[in-house]
Amino acid sequence: MSGQTDYGPDSGGRVKGLVIVKPIVYGNIARYFGKKREEDGHTHQWTVYVKPYANEDMSVYIKKIHFKLHESYANPNRIVTKPPYELTETGWGEFEIVIKIYFHDPNERPVTLYHILKLFQSPVNESAPPTVGRALVSESYEEIVFQEPTLLMQHMLYSVKPITNGPWVHDTNFEEKKEKTLERIIAAQAKVRNEISDLKEKLHLAKETITKFKEEIAKVQNNPPSSILSAI
Amino acid sequence: MADILDILDIEQPGTAEITRDSILHGDKMKKKYVTAKAARRPEGMHREVFALLYNDNKDLPPLLPTDTGKAYKQTKAKLGMRKVRKWVWAPFTNPARKDNAVFYHWKRKTDESKEYPFAQFNKQVSIPSYSESEYNQYLKSEDWSQAETDHLMDLCQRFDLRFIVIHDRWDRAAFRDRSVEDLKERYYNICGILSKVKTNPWSNTVTMVNGEKRVYHYDAEHERKRKEQLRRLFDRTKEQIEEEQTLLAELKKIEARKRERERKTQDLQKLISRADGNSAAANQTAIANDGMNTPSTVSSSIARRHDRKLHKKKLASQQRPMRAIETVTVEWSGIKFPEARGTGVWLRSQRMKLPPGVGQRKTKAIEQELRLMNIDVAPTPTESICKHFNELRSDLALALDLKNALTSYEFELQALRHQYEALNPGKTLTIPPSICNTSAEADTKPLGEIIDVVGSPGSHNNTI
Repeated sequence: MSGQTDYGPDSGGRVKGLVIVKPIVYGNIARYFGKKREEDGHTHQWTVYVKPYANEDMSVYIKKIHFKLHESYANPNRIVTKPPYELTETGWGEFEIVIKIYFHDPNERPVTLYHILKLFQSPVNESAPPTVGRALVSESYEEIVFQEPTLLMQHMLYSVKPITNGPWVHDTNFEEKKEKTLERIIAAQAKVRNEISDLKEKLHLAKETITKFKEEIAKVQNNPPSSILSAI
Repeated sequence: MADILDILDIEQPGTAEITRDSILHGDKMKKKYVTAKAARRPEGMHREVFALLYNDNKDLPPLLPTDTGKAYKQTKAKLGMRKVRKWVWAPFTNPARKDNAVFYHWKRKTDESKEYPFAQFNKQVSIPSYSESEYNQYLKSEDWSQAETDHLMDLCQRFDLRFIVIHDRWDRAAFRDRSVEDLKERYYNICGILSKVKTNPWSNTVTMVNGEKRVYHYDAEHERKRKEQLRRLFDRTKEQIEEEQTLLAELKKIEARKRERERKTQDLQKLISRADGNSAAANQTAIANDGMNTPSTVSSSIARRHDRKLHKKKLASQQRPMRAIETVTVEWSGIKFPEARGTGVWLRSQRMKLPPGVGQRKTKAIEQELRLMNIDVAPTPTESICKHFNELRSDLALALDLKNALTSYEFELQALRHQYEALNPGKTLTIPPSICNTSAEADTKPLGEIIDVVGSPGSHNNTI
């Protein structure tokens, strides 16, 4: 934030050809109370969050994060201006939370994420009732791509500091997930490509066959059947 | 009778108005009536108006005042309170005339001393003059003799440079006939030369602009051409005018067509560039399928001329399922994901959204395929995953299209086979079994009746 005063909002325009990617993780954890709360019927405490994938302080470039909750919540528009970008509430139902990330650079429009708040394990297993105390995590990986940021933004993006001195880990092993997903997709791609060339061959054959059939029919139409027999 | 008298403005004392009484009771009554009548029609009042006021039974005039003035008629507007100025029939001389002729005209007495006012419009053109030596020194011409030049200058002076008149009065007996342009050319040429050699501003052909002499230059050649042009324009026959009109109309049409063509070409270019963006696989398919006629509603004959393949490449992701028997319409391509945007912040996952052109049906089908391959419909969005995932879905879409096309071909094949069997009972045609995979029903015709029409030499397929 310190560098902000050095650069005006329009200083220097955008940096041509520069792309900066900031991976993030967003989602929620939820804990079951173990019973339905008497006063309001709430069953879970949950926390929705946006955090950096790498160990860095996002407040350098993020101005605020806006969480839009279900309208049944009092004051459903919650704004968090500094890390940790998270919000803890209680409730009984799942809904879509709209997360809007605003940047310090006034030239950049905010980006919007959609997260379905997850409270219940799916598929709901009858034999294994929700366990008390153990958190349920539903989080997603996302990449914020800064395409040709302004000098101001570039400066902010490059001057991030670690948010903690300790280890920075996520519940989900995204590295492994990325790798596996990519492998599977590439394998599927090869398979589909094969299928396509196969189909194309078949189509070619089919087309030729159609032509032949038409010729045969034309022959039959022009000549009596006997001549066809002799032709064979 | 009274009417006529009235019209003729003859006042006849004792003349009665035509009243009902006079008509009904004849002359006797009339006399009596006339004597009894006291009211006389005032001077200047119209008879009809008077009759309204004084009718036969001698009623009183209406109580309400109908006239405010003293007299019946309004006095005439008074114009000009001054006394009328006097006009006199006076003699005058025109200073423009040299013969001192005296004419008469009406003029105000007060203006009597003034000069004839129209004399100021008698403008004299100053015609340059030259001496004998000047002529010999500067003005000699092969075409013009001095006598002829003198004659020209004389006429110019006499007729104040009215060249049409000069031309008319040209002494054709003494000199050869010259056109107006010739005369003008010679005159202005002389003016130009003299203005250079003489210093006094003697001619109106020289104007002083910022102390610099400007000589009027007469472009005789241009004038001749201009007149020739006008003459030709004037001499056109009716037919020629009509022809010109039709030609102009044609030209307009041609230009309109040209514009239309250019517009279409541009559209086509756009289409081609879009189609080029498709995957190479789609291109190959299009080429492989080139033999098929693909009627397209959008395509015009021009488009066809431009690029026949284009029809197949057209981005018609929402192609209806094809009907058999009728000509099969096959259009396919992969999915074209939007190009990277310019600048700004965006989320990687946005790149994996299917473009809106991809229909619901296709989206569902692709997702189904992905699930079958155990791939998340919204995988972790990294750059490489994003790229491959989009490629994969594009390929899937293409594969789906190809499958649909194959199915429709198969329908067509079957329809043709039925047609053949109907025409030629007892015989049948073989559909190559590899094609029939999609419908999963094996062709189990007796071998003896199968006629191989496919396995011709040179064909790369090997179905028998």
